[in-house]
Amino acid sequence: MGTGADILIIDDDKDLVNTIRIILESRDYSVRAAHNGKDGHGAIEEKIPDLIILDVMMSTDTEGFDLAYKLKNSPQHRDIPILMLSSFPQKMAEKGPESFQHVLGEGWPVTEFHEKPIDPDDLLEAIEDILREENRI
Amino acid sequence: MEPGYQLIKEQLFFRKELVERVHWLINLRWAVSGVALAAGWIAHFLDLSHPILPLTVLFVVVALSNILFLAIWKRLKSREPQEVKHFVVFAHVQIAFDLVALFCVIYFTGGIYSPLLMFVLFHIILAGILLAPLSCFIYAAFILLAAGALIAFQEFALLPPQPVLFQNVPFPSADRLPDVLALYLTFASGILISTFLITTLKASLRVKGRSLITVSRKLDQSNTKLTALYEMVKEMGACSESQGLIDSATRNAKRIMGVKGCSIKLLDDDRKTLRFCSTHGLSENYTAKGIIDIEKSPVNRKILQGSFFTIGKIQKDDYFQYPEDIRKEGIASMMCLPLKVEKMIFGVFCIYSDIPHYFGPDDVNFFSLMADLTAVAIEDLKRELNKTWFLKKAAHQLRSPLNAIRSMLDLILKGYQGDVAEKQKETLTRCKKRLEILGEVINDLLKLGLERMVAGETAFHPVDVSPILKSVCELHGARASEMGVDMIFHMEDSIPEVMADEKLVDDLFTNLISNAIKYTPSGGKVTVVLAREKENRIRFEIADTGIGIPKSEIPRLFSEFFRAENAKAFSEEGTGLGLVIVKEALDRLKGSITVESTPGEGTCFVCYIPIGKPGNEKR
Repeated sequence: MGTGADILIIDDDKDLVNTIRIILESRDYSVRAAHNGKDGHGAIEEKIPDLIILDVMMSTDTEGFDLAYKLKNSPQHRDIPILMLSSFPQKMAEKGPESFQHVLGEGWPVTEFHEKPIDPDDLLEAIEDILREENRI
Repeated sequence: MEPGYQLIKEQLFFRKELVERVHWLINLRWAVSGVALAAGWIAHFLDLSHPILPLTVLFVVVALSNILFLAIWKRLKSREPQEVKHFVVFAHVQIAFDLVALFCVIYFTGGIYSPLLMFVLFHIILAGILLAPLSCFIYAAFILLAAGALIAFQEFALLPPQPVLFQNVPFPSADRLPDVLALYLTFASGILISTFLITTLKASLRVKGRSLITVSRKLDQSNTKLTALYEMVKEMGACSESQGLIDSATRNAKRIMGVKGCSIKLLDDDRKTLRFCSTHGLSENYTAKGIIDIEKSPVNRKILQGSFFTIGKIQKDDYFQYPEDIRKEGIASMMCLPLKVEKMIFGVFCIYSDIPHYFGPDDVNFFSLMADLTAVAIEDLKRELNKTWFLKKAAHQLRSPLNAIRSMLDLILKGYQGDVAEKQKETLTRCKKRLEILGEVINDLLKLGLERMVAGETAFHPVDVSPILKSVCELHGARASEMGVDMIFHMEDSIPEVMADEKLVDDLFTNLISNAIKYTPSGGKVTVVLAREKENRIRFEIADTGIGIPKSEIPRLFSEFFRAENAKAFSEEGTGLGLVIVKEALDRLKGSITVESTPGEGTCFVCYIPIGKPGNEKR
């Protein structure tokens, strides 16, 4: 069930963004989109979203993580839940912390990994769970 | 005497020599007294007249005294710490003693006309070597006085004249005084010239000795530093990922150069910003900025153009982008060098000291060497990682559009964009299926490509295969039961470790098990066995009750993209690469595989993997 929550999608694949938008809007979520880390950050500054869907790799291998860590290290943004999209979510979850932590800082920023390709039902369920958790806190 | 002490005290080198020389002197005295006694008695028996008795007494006294000298020497040597002063005094005592004894011998062998008179030169030489120049001249003076006294005593008959050795001639009488004087003067000049020569020579030898010690010390320091640098390079060479390598570099640089802090900044891809990639000894605040804008920092700009930069005292503000921070950090002097390989500069290596003017030209040279070696290590690792980077990037470039297409198909099929007619649904579902298989082909290609690329370059280590097999079975267990296929495991306890790589073993098990489940119809059975065979290998067996493989197709089973006809008919899923991956994995593990199959009844694959010793593959 939609809650009118504001979701920001950051991914450089325009088709994928469109697909997710259609899925989310069908449940009355309000959707904004950005196609790179910089624009994404700008959109967050403009208005803090309730959830961010973030792609791991865009134009550089670490663009997704760069943004995620940047948000984690900023007080007003650190509590925004991040759903990260990856082709190999399991590997990311294992490997991620070692590869990035020492460079970018403490605090694993990702709330959840989600596998590509997107299954609409799975995605919606995941988002619902996260938003429910957030509202509880 | 005091300057003499100082000079000797300074150098441990000379002190040791003094101690040894004094001992050598004692040994020499044994030899001399022995030889002299023997010579004297032989001469006596040959009827050469000279006062053998006094001479004998004299040499016996010398020998006895030598025992005392040896005892004293041992005592002095055993003292901790050894007192140089004592040895010097001891040397004086011995030389003085010897001279007195020698003059007695000279007297008894003819006074000023004695052929043994020249032996005083030995003592000049000894004094010159062991003692200060002043002492040497003093002994020379003593000798001249003693010689003079000797002449006087004999001339004025204060002492009975003695026959001149080897000449049997009585001591000349008083009217020969001018001759005696002439002889004396010649003798005196000889002594003085020798003294002068020996002291001058020794002084220059000492200077050379001192500079040799200095050079030796510098060489030792240099050696230590180079050894440390070598260890640092070795450590960097063992790193398998970039961050670890850079961290190791900064840590070691700080330690070896003996500085307060060290940092490496790397150029971003846009070549406009430098990013702090690793620091040691600098506070969080200093590095928190993270990024340095090259436009705003003339120092970094210059370094990136190839020059190095040392600053003895941080003063001028306009050199740095953040001058206040530098001062607050307590940095007084710093040295920055470009990291470059083959004219390509990709970063800056800096060391910081809290002491002003800390870095000299030697430091610049050494740090230059360190920076160059570090740059090479970084670049080498990058190239090595790049080799696989292309394949991985290619796979990613293929996967991304594939995933987007699959998501879009799902969108339509699940009705998000309106109703879908049955026929459309069928076609779209076929599209989905084909794309799924395409995705698997990409994954398998990547896997195969990477394995072939790194084969022979990765170091194997002992791997316990049982847990890997367990987890693969668990992963596929669910799918198997979904498909109505029964899975049975027989795993022996205490399977020994094999020299391998976890990923390789995982690929091996995964592909064989996945195949077995895929080609077994519902109601069938897959049996997995892991056992130790004989003393030197393990056996991994997987048998299914599936469709089997026709005998004619078995020879081509392990070739790329090959799928048996009945396999294609049974399931369209299959890349034709799975068994290639299996075969190549076994090749790398130095193992082997056999296959037995009856179409319609089932297939059994048996793999043997040797329990190897370390060093199966070279690094």
